[in-house]
Amino acid sequence: MKRQALIALLAFAVPASGGAAAQEIVSGISQDVIQITSNYTGTDIVVFGAIDRIDTPQNRNIVVVVRGPDTPMTVRRRDRIAGVWVNNDAARFTGLPSFYYLASTEPIDRVAPPRALARYGIGIDYLLPAGVFSHHDPLPFRQAAMRHLKQQGLYAEMPGTIDFLSETLFRTRVPVPANVTRGQYNVEVYLFRDGEVVSAQSTPLFVDQTGLERRLFNMAHNSPLAYGLACVFMAMLLGWISSVLFRRPV
Amino acid sequence: MEIYLPVAEMSVYWLVMIGLGLIVGFLSGMFGVGGGFLMTPLLVFSGIPSTVAVATTLSHVTASSMSGALAQWRKRAIDFPMAGVMLVGGVFGTLAGIWLFALMKKQGQMDLIVALSYVIMLGSIGIIMLRESLQTLRAYRSGTTVPARRVNHPWIHRLPLKMRFRQSRLYISVIPPIAIGFAVGALSAIMGIGGGFIIVPAMIYLLRMPTNVVMGTSLAQIIAITAITTLLQATSNYSVDIVLALLLVTGGVVGAQLGVRAGAKLRGEQLRLLLAILVLAVGAVLLWRLVANPADVYSLYLEPAA
Repeated sequence: MKRQALIALLAFAVPASGGAAAQEIVSGISQDVIQITSNYTGTDIVVFGAIDRIDTPQNRNIVVVVRGPDTPMTVRRRDRIAGVWVNNDAARFTGLPSFYYLASTEPIDRVAPPRALARYGIGIDYLLPAGVFSHHDPLPFRQAAMRHLKQQGLYAEMPGTIDFLSETLFRTRVPVPANVTRGQYNVEVYLFRDGEVVSAQSTPLFVDQTGLERRLFNMAHNSPLAYGLACVFMAMLLGWISSVLFRRPV
Repeated sequence: MEIYLPVAEMSVYWLVMIGLGLIVGFLSGMFGVGGGFLMTPLLVFSGIPSTVAVATTLSHVTASSMSGALAQWRKRAIDFPMAGVMLVGGVFGTLAGIWLFALMKKQGQMDLIVALSYVIMLGSIGIIMLRESLQTLRAYRSGTTVPARRVNHPWIHRLPLKMRFRQSRLYISVIPPIAIGFAVGALSAIMGIGGGFIIVPAMIYLLRMPTNVVMGTSLAQIIAITAITTLLQATSNYSVDIVLALLLVTGGVVGAQLGVRAGAKLRGEQLRLLLAILVLAVGAVLLWRLVANPADVYSLYLEPAA
């Protein structure tokens, strides 16, 4: 969280120190809340915006990053012990986002030098965990984590997916899968010129359960005994009803 | 077609879950077991977190057993004192199991211990049942009389605290039923099962209960133990998903009724042979998953939001 605050601060400080008079990029999102309801199976949000100066496309790049709330991750490695695969070694990482989607006008290694990318956490390879807890070399564990997150659709890097509607208007579609964590997300839009961030904007996006799902989740955690009793009662009632319904045709 | 599970925090195809309940319920009704030993692995195979799978399967078992037990109760085939005595051990077993559950979760060895206990349990019980039912069937075919099965275990009769169980026509110590109850209670918490596939053979081969009361009595005991375990899982691990439970139970109770009818058409020996094959098949699949080379030796666990 601290790292992200720094990024935001730096990003907004850049145009000022560069002496630019106005914000050179404005952006918005199609919805600022994603509600998880009983039929939620993932959704798309549209990030759109405008740049107010016409540049030559060669040195101008736009990067859109959607970051989920940070979550601790544990990666375990299985080894064969006495013929059976057993979790034998583990590494724990903190400070990595639970969701990371990047869209850019060009592959990011062509957008900016690694140092600039690392400073803003742009690019999956440049995400650095805040804490690493491991007995051995954590690198293979980190690579495995990234591989799994990509497979689950939680991490993605999509260069060339920003569409320009005119010379200054752009938009991109961000797929948010069904298995996302609830919490506050940040949609960050960066404008790069000649490998430097010249403007950036960050907009919060909230993902939360609503309605019945929210109430059930709250009940499970706040009054677990009543929740458990409701479960048992429901099971017994349905068992009894079926027994009565099926009694006749024997 | 998909529905969001509030506690598992994921979407599932609801028809698939009802279908899963239906199939497992059918087998439950047919064999007089709760079906947890099938349901928990099937839920895990379909991507449900194993903690949620273990805790939610219990509701399915409660419902399937309820519907089966009522059918048995109308036939006066439940030995309530026996079920009560077993439940005494069961409550303590469940508490021990919940404690062990939390400990293993912390060690990161939950999946291994669950899988290993499934393989050992299903393997040994499956083989015993298979052998016994094959012997009985062979004897029946060759026309010879079935060898007398009242081979008593002398050590069981030497135990103190004897009690008369009228319906089972038994006069035995309460220690073996309590011990069986304890073991099954512990397994219920760890494996998400009612324990029918352990109680039924234990009642037949250890306690020598008459087969006609075994089904009903084990079902009554299973209802009580799964209800208690559900409450404990809900209050200590928050891992019971009521939406998933509703889907499984809806399919399960219908399946169980159909299964009871199908089971009535088969003889006891045939039923036991089929159950033995089923138990061994599930055990073999789980064993294969333990020893086969995994697609990826690394696994990732994201800690859930507080």
